[in-house]
Amino acid sequence: MKSRMAASLAAIVLVLAACSSSATPMPTTAPATATPTSMATATAASATTAPVNLTIYGAASLKAALAKAQTAYSAANPGATLTISTDSSTALETKIEQGAPVDVFLSADTANPQKLVDKGLAAGSVTKFAGNLLTVIVPTANPAGIKTPADIAKSGVKVIAAGDTVPITKYANQLVANLAKQPGYPADFVSEYTANIVSKQDNVAAVVAQIELGEGDAGIVYVTDAKTSTKVATIAVPAAANVPATYSGVVVKASANPAAAQAFLAWFAGPDGQAILASFGFLPAP
Amino acid sequence: MALAGLSALFLSLPILVLVARAIFDGSLARALTAQVVLSALALSLATTAISLVITVAFGLPLAYVLARRRFRGAGLVEAIVDLPLVLPPAVAGLALLLLLGRRGFLGGPLDAIGIEIPFTTLAVILAQTFVSAPFFIRSARTGIASVELDLEAAARVDGASDIEVFRHITVPLAGSALAAGLVMSWARSLGEFGATIMFAGNIEGRTQTLPLVVYGEFQGGDLDGSIAAAAILVLAAFGVLVAVRLLHWGRALDIRSLG
Repeated sequence: MKSRMAASLAAIVLVLAACSSSATPMPTTAPATATPTSMATATAASATTAPVNLTIYGAASLKAALAKAQTAYSAANPGATLTISTDSSTALETKIEQGAPVDVFLSADTANPQKLVDKGLAAGSVTKFAGNLLTVIVPTANPAGIKTPADIAKSGVKVIAAGDTVPITKYANQLVANLAKQPGYPADFVSEYTANIVSKQDNVAAVVAQIELGEGDAGIVYVTDAKTSTKVATIAVPAAANVPATYSGVVVKASANPAAAQAFLAWFAGPDGQAILASFGFLPAP
Repeated sequence: MALAGLSALFLSLPILVLVARAIFDGSLARALTAQVVLSALALSLATTAISLVITVAFGLPLAYVLARRRFRGAGLVEAIVDLPLVLPPAVAGLALLLLLGRRGFLGGPLDAIGIEIPFTTLAVILAQTFVSAPFFIRSARTGIASVELDLEAAARVDGASDIEVFRHITVPLAGSALAAGLVMSWARSLGEFGATIMFAGNIEGRTQTLPLVVYGEFQGGDLDGSIAAAAILVLAAFGVLVAVRLLHWGRALDIRSLG
């Protein structure tokens, strides 16, 4: 009797654990290798010698660039370690509002950092650091035979999009609206595109992953995402219709190392950071 | 006694705070009329009900075999059945994609003949069944194994066939364990999130269940909407648990009866 009681108690604990583990998944994190020690640096200069640990929240499309920046910054600033988390910029902004311990927020738009400024949660002003453009991606096998962006609204095409509040969605909807006005695009392009959406993913990286898996026929993502992936093909978008994305960042007011945080943001927006961003296909900030 | 009280408090307080907050700041009332929430609630209730039927239809025979038959590899089968219990739901979702996705092991051939599973309501049901069936199978197996073989033998002596023995002796005697398994399985599939969002997608009315709305509103910065949707999920689950009790299956939830 006791063992059955224990078994059923264990089963109930399992149910609770399983349900809780099905809750909010964490944004992808690339932890730095050194052990963190938080000591505020006294100087705002880029070279710091005291050990400093900065937590960076970045847009999902910045993941590869931030990984490279992490190595470069730690090499240039011995003792500085960066912990990087990437996800939808809107989701990250929400977490910062809820009190997540973050030093620098790098967003795929200007609206999210501005939200933090408006709520008094930012130190300093919004700093633009990069630009980006959009493209249509398809799996390399191109199962739906997409040849032009107009094809993504054809009946039966499975489009993978991101959630309504993810920055890429706002840009993508603008792009679709622009395309609808171009010659050669059907009158119901916007509504047909919307009807073709079969899944709304958490962030743009998940959209790329679904296309790579072949689960979708097409998706609208950043040019830099297409460049980084080896399992997708791009369908170029007419330059006249393309939507420029502006990436901007801000230091979080509650940062434990505001001076070091400002130094990193300045470095990332400066020539060293720009070189890294350019190597991934990012454009200079508009 | 103090530890027991603390434990009860720990389990109940977060839920009470959640529901109270949703009621008192009006967001619950607003959410109950929001199309997004209502269609997610309807989808959640419908898909979990269908998942439960599938779970019983396929899980009960498996539980019976595991409880009554001794065969080589029984331990391995039990371990495999238990696997979804300990897998992170996202892993389950990925595994389902790799099996049933468009280029999946089974999904590829199915897609070739026109059957597409990912991003459909069927995918929601499959994800739910995959993660919640083990709860029912475990409980059913324990319950069936606890029915004394002598009673079944006595029934056979009186002329009952195997099916009649199962229907009139085994199932009623294992009843409380079966009911407990049903409740746990249903609860797990109601809360299912990770596998759903990966395998089934997140489209309102088709694949967006209520937990996905809770998560989506939070990610989108609508905290009030998120709280309200969460409160509705809690109240719906609570309503079903209360209904189960009132239908005199309350014994199933009484730990002592499982002993």
